[in-house]
Amino acid sequence: MKINTNQFGEIEFDESMTIQFKDGILGFENYKKYLLINSGSDLFLWLTSIDEPELVFPLFSTRVLMEDYPHQEGFEAFGIVKLDPDPLKITVNLKAPVYINQEEKSGFQKILDEDELPIDYILFKEN
Amino acid sequence: MLILTRKLNEEIRINGDIVIKIVTLSDNQVKIGIEAPPEVKILRGEVYQKVRDNTIEASQKSKEKLPQVDLTKLKVNKIKK
Repeated sequence: MKINTNQFGEIEFDESMTIQFKDGILGFENYKKYLLINSGSDLFLWLTSIDEPELVFPLFSTRVLMEDYPHQEGFEAFGIVKLDPDPLKITVNLKAPVYINQEEKSGFQKILDEDELPIDYILFKEN
Repeated sequence: MLILTRKLNEEIRINGDIVIKIVTLSDNQVKIGIEAPPEVKILRGEVYQKVRDNTIEASQKSKEKLPQVDLTKLKVNKIKK
């Protein structure tokens, strides 16, 4: 199968690579099938809707930011990244992570109760 | 919207397995207790809205060009406890 993406042009993939989001992503509940694209050249993974390839969420692994981030057995936790031309303004959402099980090809988004987890966490700092 | 009047400690039942109870009452605040099956998602309305707005914005900004710097050279802002 093929999709045409903004970021990476035409991508060919196998149906078995599809990650199912049963409940979708908040604000995009109707889109349930995604590909997780690793461009290899940046720090993000790109969660790309198969039904609407214009719909893309850059993801950043929370493990890098915080060792004891709320865990789900079998799943890896990612924060949705809000890009910005100024790298020091790039933020990651730690309040509503996306959990993905790459073996079972399933994922879901969860809003966490923990008050201290910010929705607009600055991802980079100056060296 | 269905509107029901309830007194302190009175309940509302939805679908037989969801119970909403008025726990305390004061001048401008009510405390509400909710019992529901684990698959029922319960959120404060403003939190839901904030996350939704943020997610929509993130999807729009994903189309922006990445900064013209090598992000791998920047320091990740780790959370200190």
